[in-house]
Amino acid sequence: MTALQATLSAPGSQARRSLPAILGLVGVFLIWELAARAFEDAFVLAGPSDVLAYLMANQALMGRALMVTLSNAAIGFVLGNLAAVLLALIALLWPRSESVVTGLALFVFCLPLVATGPILRVFFGPGEWPQILLAALAVYYTTLIPLLVGLRAAPATWFDLVRSYGRGRFAALFHVRMMASLPYFVAGLQIAAPAAFLGAMVGEFTGAERGMGVLTIRAMRALDVDMTWALASVATAVAILVYLVIGWLARLVLSDAPPVILAAPRASVSGRAAVWKSTVNIALTVGVVLGVWWGALAVLDVSPFFAKGPADVFDALFLAPDAATTRATLGSALIDTSVLLLPGYFAGLLAGAGLAMLVVLVPALTGIAMTLSIALRSVPIVTTAPLVVLLAGRGAVGTIVLVAVMVFFPTFVACLHGLRQAPGQVMDVLHSYAAGPILQLIRVRIPAMLPAFFAAARMSVPASVLAVTVVEWLATGNGIGSLMAVSASLSDYDMLWSSVVLVSLLSSLGYAAVGAIESRVLRIYAPEQLA
Amino acid sequence: MKNVFSRRSFLSTGAAGLGLGASGLWPKLAHAQTTANLQLSWLHSAQFAGSYIAMDRGFWSDAGLEVGLLQGGPNAPVEPPVVSGTALVGISAADYTAAAVEQGAPFKILGVAMQKNPFVVASLPDNPVNAPADLVGKRIGMALANTPVLQALCSLNGVDINGIEIVPTQYSAQPLLAGEVDCLLCWETDLPVAMAMQGVESVTMLMADHGYAVHSQTYIATEDSLATRRADLVALMSGEVRGWEAYREDTAAAAALTVEMFPDAGLDLATQELQAERQVPLMFSDLTDENGFGSWTDEAVAANIETLALLGRTVTPDLWDRSILDEVHGA
Repeated sequence: MTALQATLSAPGSQARRSLPAILGLVGVFLIWELAARAFEDAFVLAGPSDVLAYLMANQALMGRALMVTLSNAAIGFVLGNLAAVLLALIALLWPRSESVVTGLALFVFCLPLVATGPILRVFFGPGEWPQILLAALAVYYTTLIPLLVGLRAAPATWFDLVRSYGRGRFAALFHVRMMASLPYFVAGLQIAAPAAFLGAMVGEFTGAERGMGVLTIRAMRALDVDMTWALASVATAVAILVYLVIGWLARLVLSDAPPVILAAPRASVSGRAAVWKSTVNIALTVGVVLGVWWGALAVLDVSPFFAKGPADVFDALFLAPDAATTRATLGSALIDTSVLLLPGYFAGLLAGAGLAMLVVLVPALTGIAMTLSIALRSVPIVTTAPLVVLLAGRGAVGTIVLVAVMVFFPTFVACLHGLRQAPGQVMDVLHSYAAGPILQLIRVRIPAMLPAFFAAARMSVPASVLAVTVVEWLATGNGIGSLMAVSASLSDYDMLWSSVVLVSLLSSLGYAAVGAIESRVLRIYAPEQLA
Repeated sequence: MKNVFSRRSFLSTGAAGLGLGASGLWPKLAHAQTTANLQLSWLHSAQFAGSYIAMDRGFWSDAGLEVGLLQGGPNAPVEPPVVSGTALVGISAADYTAAAVEQGAPFKILGVAMQKNPFVVASLPDNPVNAPADLVGKRIGMALANTPVLQALCSLNGVDINGIEIVPTQYSAQPLLAGEVDCLLCWETDLPVAMAMQGVESVTMLMADHGYAVHSQTYIATEDSLATRRADLVALMSGEVRGWEAYREDTAAAAALTVEMFPDAGLDLATQELQAERQVPLMFSDLTDENGFGSWTDEAVAANIETLALLGRTVTPDLWDRSILDEVHGA
C-alpha cells in the first residue's frame, strides 16, 4: 500500500532494493557532516557527530522533553483522527451534510496556528490542553480527506452485491466502504504523524512548562546550534519511526490488493442545478461557521477584550473609523504572503508528483526517496528556516522552498500510493502488449493517481498556508503571519481575528478552486469519486 | 519547581510543627492559603529569579498566598490571562500595556522591575555602534515589527532612519555572526549573553542611555483586582520586592536557584549567572536604593509618556498606580 510496504513485501527484491537505500543514507549523513564543517562559523548547522555528542551528554533532559511532547502529540493524534473518522461517517451516512461537514472542517483546519495557539491558551489556562488540541487540529483534516476518498473507492458491483442480499447503507459501509478505505486511511495516518508532532511543538510556544518546543526556543535564542539540531534530529527520527510503525501495522491488517474500479462516466448534473446546489451549500457552511463562532463565544463567556465575535470583525473591517486602514494593512500583508505562497505551493505539488513517478519507474529509489522526504517534512520548520535562509538568502526563495517542502511530502505519499493503485488486470493487458514502463505510467498509472493527487492538492492548500505563516512569524517577519503575531503582542485583537477570518476564508476558497478543477478532471478519469 | 518548593516548605513547616508540637498543638497550615497566578513574559530563566527566590524562601506562603508562576513564550501574550483573571498579575512592559489599554483593557502598572529599558543595539568590536549616529550606513537585523522602536530612537537623537538599512531577521545572533548584518536590535540580557557564552564579545549600546525611556518588566493588574483583591496584590508585590532584594545580594545564588528549580528548561548555569549579573544595572539604581525595588519617579513617567508618544501610544500618568507599592514599602 505504501512505499515502504511495497519495498519490504517482496522478499526477493528486498536486499537488492535496500542496498542503494543504505548507501544513500550513508551519503546523506556524510554530506550533512561535511556541510556542518563547512558552515561551522555561520552558527546554523551542527553535523551528525555534534548532534550525537550533545545527545549523549544530555540524555536525561532530552528524554524527559521527548516524553512530554510525544505524549501530547500522541493524544492529539488519536483525538484528531477519531474526529476525522467521526466526521467522515457523518458525511457518508448523511450525504446531504457532506459539503457542510467538510466546509466546516476545512475552515477550522485553516485557522492559523499563530493565532489559535494563544486563544486556546486563554481558554484552557496552564496545562497540556493547548498543545494536545493544536496537535489534533494539525492532523484531523489530512485524515478526513483521504478517508472520504477511500470510502468511495469501491467498485459499483460490490454495492450491487450488498443490495442483492437485501442489505442497506450500514452493511455497505461496514462490509465494503470501510475495507476499501483502509489503505487511504493509513496514508492519512502516515501524513498525520509528523504534523501532530509539529503541532504539539508549536503549541508549546504558548507558554508550556516543558517539552521539545520549549527547548527549541531556548536553543535558538542561546545560539546553541548543537542543541537545536539535536532537537531537530530527535523530532525527525521520531516522526520517521512513527511513520514506519504505522506502515508496519497496516501491513498486518491489509492483505488484499486494492479493487479494480471501472465505473462508467456519470451524466453530469445540469449546469443551473449544480450552481444552485453549491450556492446553497456554501451559504449553509458560512451560516454554520458563523453560528458556531458566535455560539462558542457566548457559551464560553470569554472577555470581549480578546474574544471578538462576527459582529466585531465586521465592524473592524467595514464600519469602524479606521476600517479603511485596517483593510489596507490586511490587503498588503496578504499580497506579500501570496507572492511567496503560490510559487511554493505549485513547486511542492510538481516535485511531489514528479518524484512519485520517478520512484515508480526506478523502484530502487523508493527507500532513499521515502526516507529523505519524511525527514524533510519532519524536521521542524522552526529549525530549518535559518538554514534555508542562509542557503537561499533572506529574500523570497527561502520562504518558497519551505512552503514547497511542506506541500511536497503529502503529495508524494499520496501520489505514490495512487500510482500503485493501478488495476492489476489493466496492467496485465499492457504487459501482454509488451508496453514499457513509461507507457504504463502514462496510460494507467497517472489516471489511477489522479484522485489521490487532487486530494493531496486540496489538503496542501491549508498546509501551505500554515507553512508560510509560520515562516513569516518565526523567520522573515513579513506578511500576514507576522501581522498576526504582532497584533497579538500589541493586543490588537480586532486585527488578529480579522486576519484569522480572512486567512481561513481565502484558504477555503483556494481549496474550492482546486476542487472545481478536480471534479472536471475526475469526471473523465475516476467518476466513482463524484458519486 | 514543585519538588524544590515542597521540600523546603516541608522543612520549615516541619520545624514549626515540632516547635508547636511541644506545646501540644499540631497545626495543619499556618495560614489559610489563597491562590494567585503571576504570568511571566518569557520562558523561565534568571530574568524572573527574584520571583523564584520569593517562592523558594516562602515570602508568599508566609503571607498566606500561594503563587503559581505561569511561563510565557514566543506565542503567549501576557495581557489576555490578566484580563480574564487566570493571572492576578502579569509581567508586561509600558509599551505593550499602553497598547492594551488603548484596546480597552483596564490595566494599571503597579511596579517597574526594569527601570531602564533593556533594548540595545549590539554590534561587534571591529565595526561598533557606540552611539545612535553610528547607525547611519549600517545594516541592522531586527523584526520589522520593531521598526517603531528604531524610529523612536532616531527621532530622539536626530538621526535619519532612511540612512539605516533594516534587514528583517529572526530573533537570533546568528545573522550578526554570519556577517549578514552589522548590528542587531535585541535585549541586553539575551543575545549578547548568548554571544559571550560562544566566546564572542560584543559592543552594546543601551537605548535607555540615549533617551529611549520605556519601563520594562512592569507588573500589571486590572482595576477590578485593585479594587477587590488588594491584600493579595500587596502580598504578591511584597514577596516580589523581598525576592528581588535578595537577588541583588547574590545574583550567582539566584542563577543557581533558577537552574535547580527548572531542570526541564535546559538552562545552563554559566549563561544564567551572566544574565543575572547583566540585568542588575537595569533594575537597580540610586533611586531604587532610596525608594525601594519597583518604584519610579514622576520624571520617569513624564519621559515614558514622551517616548511612548513617539511609538504612537497616548497615555496619561494615571496608568502608573503607586498605591500597592506604597503599602508594601510602608508596611
